[in-house]
Amino acid sequence: MLNSRAWTLPHSDFPISDDGLLSPGAAETTLIHALESRFREMALAAGSEERQFPTVIAEEILDLSEYFQSFPQFASAVNSPNKRGRYFLSPAVCYHCYQLLMNSALAGDTLLTCQGRCFRAESANDSHLWEFTMREVVFLGDCGFVRAQCDAWKQRIARWAAQLGLTVNLTPAKDPFFLGETRGKKLLQQIKELKYELTAPGLLGTDVPVASFNLHERFFTSRFEVTLTGGEPAYSGCAAFGIERWCMALIAQHGVNEALRRVEESDDLR
Amino acid sequence: MGSKATGASTPLNPAVEILLKFVNEDLLADSQEKVAPDTALFDEGRIDSLKILRLIAFLEVRSGKKIPDELIVMDRFRTIETIAKNFPER
Repeated sequence: MLNSRAWTLPHSDFPISDDGLLSPGAAETTLIHALESRFREMALAAGSEERQFPTVIAEEILDLSEYFQSFPQFASAVNSPNKRGRYFLSPAVCYHCYQLLMNSALAGDTLLTCQGRCFRAESANDSHLWEFTMREVVFLGDCGFVRAQCDAWKQRIARWAAQLGLTVNLTPAKDPFFLGETRGKKLLQQIKELKYELTAPGLLGTDVPVASFNLHERFFTSRFEVTLTGGEPAYSGCAAFGIERWCMALIAQHGVNEALRRVEESDDLR
Repeated sequence: MGSKATGASTPLNPAVEILLKFVNEDLLADSQEKVAPDTALFDEGRIDSLKILRLIAFLEVRSGKKIPDELIVMDRFRTIETIAKNFPER
């Protein structure tokens, strides 16, 4: 039996277990699907090609991404005696995109979008779920294209949040992401402003990240050997949206019914 | 290489000169490419994660003060001139 936390929002059914597992009520589930649908529409309208990937990911892909060096404590292993490979529950959907493109030359500027259940075994609190839904848009190409896409997504999402009446704040992130947790890597990421986070007041009133906008430079493309037509490693980046956190933030600010109305009526998805 | 000349016509601020010497002769000792006082240090992968730590250690020794992590941001580290301005020696 899962223990539900006491910080369920007033007037909403959003229980989170002690291990960070969410079992939302009917209206909250509708809101989650409505939000995800809007992010998908935005990604497709921006010209992304949509892909679907498994919930599990091969150990060698995470290893190639240096995930175990950077975040060993967050990995969630999956074991089956009937399978030959070693797998983990995916901590992010973009790793699959790099696997998809491994050892290839891009035909041109590339936008991929995908959605999946992601798992990060972080210490649970009012906003860290072990399992959550992530929509990502991954951009690959030359440096200028990737930077322009990252900036465009920051603007697009800030505009949409304003239309939803969601109070948000866009700031350079201080926590490590792909580079890892050693001080040098963390400071390098911080100084180069490779990751921006969009935050909104969460369940307990403190700001929690609802989206991130990331420049990966050539970190993944050099490891997965994804090149431009000339043979040099491509640049890459991504915009990532934590759907349940958007749901929490909107419920906190508007209540579930008003939040759903605003999401369904929002039409500025440029 | 940045656009500003480092020749004798314009004497450099001593703090800039010391930093320039450290970056070009120590941090970038193995690199063909050198920087000028106004070169964007973090473009093109000139400074990696180990070099940033050595640069911070150099600044801390010269100033006699630890630099808090939250001050290590692009606005303060963009170029050698920016660093010299934001992290004066004691």
